[in-house]
Amino acid sequence: MTGTTGSWSQRLANWARMKSPWITIFNSGGCNACDIEILACLIPRFDVERFGILAKGSPRHADILIVTGPATLKQASRLRRVWEQMPEPKYVIAIGACGAGGGVFHGLYHVSESVDSIIPVDVFVAGCPPRPDEVINAVVTCLGLLAEDIAHGGKEWRQKKAVEIPDTTTTGEVRV
Amino acid sequence: MTSPLTRDVVMETMKGFGTVEQVRANRFRITTTHNRLRDAVKTVQESLACDRLVTISTADTRQTFELHYHFTGQHRMIVTVTIELSRETPELPTMSDMLLPAGIYERQIHDLFGIVFSGHPGLKKILLNEDWPDNEHPLRKDWKPDEKTFYGGTKQEGR
Amino acid sequence: MAEVVIPIGPQHPALKEPVNFRVIADGEKIIRLELNLSYTHRGIEKGAESRDFIRVLPLLERVCGICSHSHATAFAKGIEEIMQVKIPPRAQYIRTIIAELERMHSHLLWLGVAAHEIGFNTLFMWTWRDREAVQDTLEEMSGNRVHYNMNEVGGVRCDLSPSQVQTALARLPLLEERIHKYVAMLEEEETMLLRFRGIGNMTRHEALAYGAVGPTARASGVACDARHEDPYLVYAEVPWEVVTDTNGDVYGRTCVRIGELRESAKIVRYCLEHLPEGDIRVPAPKAAPTGEILSRYEAPRGELVHFIRTNGTDKAERLDIRTPTLANWTSVAVCLAGQNLADIPVIVAAIDPCLSCTSRITVLDNNKNTGGMITFDELRKRSRARWQDEERT
Repeated sequence: MTGTTGSWSQRLANWARMKSPWITIFNSGGCNACDIEILACLIPRFDVERFGILAKGSPRHADILIVTGPATLKQASRLRRVWEQMPEPKYVIAIGACGAGGGVFHGLYHVSESVDSIIPVDVFVAGCPPRPDEVINAVVTCLGLLAEDIAHGGKEWRQKKAVEIPDTTTTGEVRV
Repeated sequence: MTSPLTRDVVMETMKGFGTVEQVRANRFRITTTHNRLRDAVKTVQESLACDRLVTISTADTRQTFELHYHFTGQHRMIVTVTIELSRETPELPTMSDMLLPAGIYERQIHDLFGIVFSGHPGLKKILLNEDWPDNEHPLRKDWKPDEKTFYGGTKQEGR
Repeated sequence: MAEVVIPIGPQHPALKEPVNFRVIADGEKIIRLELNLSYTHRGIEKGAESRDFIRVLPLLERVCGICSHSHATAFAKGIEEIMQVKIPPRAQYIRTIIAELERMHSHLLWLGVAAHEIGFNTLFMWTWRDREAVQDTLEEMSGNRVHYNMNEVGGVRCDLSPSQVQTALARLPLLEERIHKYVAMLEEEETMLLRFRGIGNMTRHEALAYGAVGPTARASGVACDARHEDPYLVYAEVPWEVVTDTNGDVYGRTCVRIGELRESAKIVRYCLEHLPEGDIRVPAPKAAPTGEILSRYEAPRGELVHFIRTNGTDKAERLDIRTPTLANWTSVAVCLAGQNLADIPVIVAAIDPCLSCTSRITVLDNNKNTGGMITFDELRKRSRARWQDEERT
């Protein structure tokens, strides 16, 4: 889980991240149902703090950024700034239908295309709003991704590569 | 007065301001002109015992803009004062000195419809983001987003 | 002393919504407040003009994640009145049950958030745990914990089976017992009494002049409740009372909300026990005739107003939403003037701001000498520190 490569301090840092991920929640202009469901994770019924998950105010202390809401035009630049302030390795979870593509607000004049068009998202959680259990599941999935990234030595292994379009002009073919 | 207002009382009190209709069992509408608005509101507050502004609603009828000022009081009925403004020059003196909650409603209406409330202490943008162009008002019926205009958000520079 | 403009940063894990106001302060005392509400503006009113009456209801539900049923019901009942469609009694009762359950979950949520603002985290955990009982009931009845989607123009979409009614009734005694405990807490709990008393005062005259609605106004003695002034659903038949208080401060608003919790539990019990038989919907026409209506609804935070105009098609020509939080913001600006900076979290939380109905708070500090940002968290710590100092002296 912590990897066998890397220095002793690196392995310790990886272990700490896996055992106790700190999250920061950013509401990019949603209806708040997702935020309430995330807060409901803290209460005794779901109790996410027993997993070591702590909600911190500042993005500079966080491993995981949880974004709720469709990114409104006003929040888009602030969302980008918050994401840039986070130190690597960082992960982004986009909650709900809004996170996936605007949800029910897709196409309205003050809403941007999707959270994905502003910052790269690692985990999408379906639901409107998703239940607290599903949010906890998303954080655990993120931790799984973290483990795999450590094993592969970074995130590049799962980034999509630009597709090479074959050049057909030399053969004289015209592809429509 | 806590007894319900009757049609006769409202018609008598608001005589001369414009047409008075009873649009619902508990709602009256008085249609007046924009230069008689202040007097009408004052009369409604003083003589019809309406001590609370409910809201200011707007509508775009494609020919004019309509503003509806809804009041209520202990008699539990709603009295609406309606005015129309021209679409070319939608201007009106502010009501925020007489009706304190009107300040925030007028800011919203200005953002969405472009109606200018002269004398308002701070008619800055309240709803639309700071990059939104100043002369575009999204809730007008003839407004469509223009593909070339930048309305705010982040510019697509890639990740 | 020079004026200082203070920003409160948007990063605060417990307060979920973004709102922006500039607080202009003289040292610790607030002079003026300037508001900016664009963070959650999505353009829903424009979107409602291009969606027909079936598709617009899910959009309207998501104006706010806490008072979602309020928006959908206000719209549906307005359109039904324009169409002159009378929905069956069973549908009225079911809508009322969901409405009051929503009020209960919202007030319990608020109680937890207000307690968190003063550092009383135990109460936050207790109230949100009790809220789970309400959420479970709502989930059994409608399928979702939030955004119940129970409404359609013409009635409700889901019926309540007898076993669901029995399960809901079985959960009520526990809730009623917990509410009773919170009522007792108001009298006995020193923390709440100290931190809430005397903060954010508003007289009856001010509440009327600033257009305050909901528990904020009822705490100042204004008996305005849309369920009483303009009865809709079954509020004219069910025995219930408007809860008012004369304190006019944050403590008064707490008393009003806890009193409303008690009343809502009574209404839910009555409706579940007297649920009439019959259909849950009537066929409604696809298009609404030309008309205009001012639909008022008592959302958990206050009076919600939908001004709807139809034009003979199956879409609304104009939908103008005035949310209760917007009506209360002017009174917040007034309550905060002359108060201490450290009291901002408590006073703002006291109107129960539903900011997705409105927007976010940032308070900026561009004092040329010190420049810096104060986060909401720091303000909260300051407010608790001040209280601890007061207790020591």
